[in-house]
Amino acid sequence: MDKKVLPVIEFKNVGLSFDNNTILKNVSFEIEAGQFYTLLGPSGSGKSTILNLISGQLSADAGEILFDGKVINNIPAESRRVNTVFQNYALFPNMTVFDNVAFGPKLKKLPKDTIKAKVREMLALVKLEAFENRAIQELSGGQKQRVAIARALANEPDVLLLDEPLSALDYKLRKQMQSELRAIQKRLGITFIFVTHDQEEALAMSDWIFIMNDGKIQQNGTPVDIYDEPINHFVADFIGESNIVNGVMKQDYLVNFVGKDFENLDAGMRPNEAVEVVLRPEDLDLVPIEQGKLVVTIADQSFRGDFYEITAIDDDGNEWKVQATNPSSVGARVGLDFGPEDIHVMRFNESEDDFDARIESYEGE
Amino acid sequence: MQKKLLGNSYLLLVMILLYIPIIFLVVYSFNGGTIMSGWGGFSFVHYQELFADTRLLKILLDTFILAISSATIAAFIGTVGALFLDGIQNKKTLNTFLSFNNVLLVSPDVTIGVSFLILFTILGFSLGFVSVLVSHIAFSIPIVLLMVLPRLREMDNTLVMAARDLGAKRGTILSQIVIPEIWPSIMAGFLLALTYSLDDFAVTFFVTGNGFSTLSVEIYSRARQGVSLEINALSALMFAVSLLLVFTYYLYTTYADKKARLTK
Ligand SMILES: Nc1ncnc2c1ncn2[C@@H]1O[C@H](COP(=O)(O)OP(=O)(O)OP(=O)(O)O)[C@@H](O)[C@H]1O
Ligand SMILES: [Mg+2]
Repeated sequence: MDKKVLPVIEFKNVGLSFDNNTILKNVSFEIEAGQFYTLLGPSGSGKSTILNLISGQLSADAGEILFDGKVINNIPAESRRVNTVFQNYALFPNMTVFDNVAFGPKLKKLPKDTIKAKVREMLALVKLEAFENRAIQELSGGQKQRVAIARALANEPDVLLLDEPLSALDYKLRKQMQSELRAIQKRLGITFIFVTHDQEEALAMSDWIFIMNDGKIQQNGTPVDIYDEPINHFVADFIGESNIVNGVMKQDYLVNFVGKDFENLDAGMRPNEAVEVVLRPEDLDLVPIEQGKLVVTIADQSFRGDFYEITAIDDDGNEWKVQATNPSSVGARVGLDFGPEDIHVMRFNESEDDFDARIESYEGE
Repeated sequence: MQKKLLGNSYLLLVMILLYIPIIFLVVYSFNGGTIMSGWGGFSFVHYQELFADTRLLKILLDTFILAISSATIAAFIGTVGALFLDGIQNKKTLNTFLSFNNVLLVSPDVTIGVSFLILFTILGFSLGFVSVLVSHIAFSIPIVLLMVLPRLREMDNTLVMAARDLGAKRGTILSQIVIPEIWPSIMAGFLLALTYSLDDFAVTFFVTGNGFSTLSVEIYSRARQGVSLEINALSALMFAVSLLLVFTYYLYTTYADKKARLTK
């Protein structure tokens, strides 16, 4: 086996409570250097809390936090080689753009010329060369965001933390900043840990995603892995659109739902185990009745720009969301078709380790 | 429209009533005669008297030195106090401290004056500039605290987090982030303390000794023998200074407001 690269950040069973409210329980994960990570989860799931533990603004009640292999639980925030881009920018209002970006380098007592060069380099990186002498109050939201990024990067951190940095920007600007951030990360080669509750943003930007809910990491993996093989109902529902129905795993590679048996590609479960079945709307096709696996009635249809979102009801009353390139007509009876590879089966309460091991056991063959 | 006119004329009337005595005082400071009743022609004679009265001028100077020193020291102590209070997480402890502060703020000057007199006497402290200074600082601290604390409370805590994040230690955060943020309130507190000290009669009256006097105490003791128009001249000048102070204070607070709104 290859010798594993030492993770730059590692959480070992980290726990945190505020006045008897457990916020994080037993959180463990590893962050490798040079990657773009995303913490994705609904509001209140503990994303900012994890960032604050990494940056040192909060300290853990339990467990260990390691940086480059050394425990840093007791290292104060100002001494960690991590910098943060705050959601509300947190720019210093009594300083110019230049002084904001120079704040970190000045504290390091670098020579004046070095500081100047560094600030210029960072402002160029975020395309704000001409704004050096502006007051913070004279910047737009997008420009403030760029200054915040430049200020955090001017300290040359090993890891940059970004707490929902784009959520206050309008759609177009957000798209643009997404690709710029990605480009900056590639260019500097440092680790980014990006927090968002926007799943589309997470899928588009990340090398690796952590899905959080209720102070726990539900699943982590590449965007494709998480999208194709969500571990549980929460993840399947949170990432992308999905149809989730109850079913029974009769035996390996054979699942029963809506009263019929279907061949599929999942295995490693107990015979006749109750499961949940996920089918993505874009994997479903509307076909003539005789060619379909199920018969459905079109209940609703709306145009979404590049596809039609169709809601269809099967004869058992289950709702199916379908994304189709061609329009259908409401009230029509059609067939619903999908292949074995489009069916994804999820067990109830399976841990991430068990899930990984099970998939390994039959996909590894 | 009519309602507005009515309201405005009412306010104007009240203002005139309030200012009439002051206007009389100022006008009569230019009276050539020697008493308030009877106009002896326009003259600067009382102003000349005033500038020849070295005792009064020294007292005037002392009064300002006292006000500036007590306001400065109170601004410092009050700000430090506000910083500590802001650090208190426990609501109950905080409210207890704040209540003590407010009690001082509303308690009558006479009470403060008498209690300081008793304190100084018990300690065997000789009454004079220092005793007056100490008591002025004491009644100014709550004023500064009241100005500074709200500003600290509404300060964006992520600014402090960001400064720490960038490597700043406590001292730097205080001097480069926190103090600039609350500076307008410190100045406002200072100016308010300054006017309170200049104005004060009751506290000073109790705790001042033989060698030291302030304007209000001096005027009081002179007025008992009948007010000389020299006092009018002095009061007119003082009134002008107060106007100036109020105006500066106004400018400062509007500036601070504007700045605060811009940063939001
Ligand atoms: N200082 C605090 N005191 C008490 N509870 C807190 C504190 N900070 C956070 N919490 C709680 O911790 C939980 C996680 O908060 P956190 O800020 O990490 O959520 P988040 O995932 O960042 O949410 P959002 O997307 O809304 O920013 C929430 O339930 C929140 O109420
Ligand atoms: Mg958050």
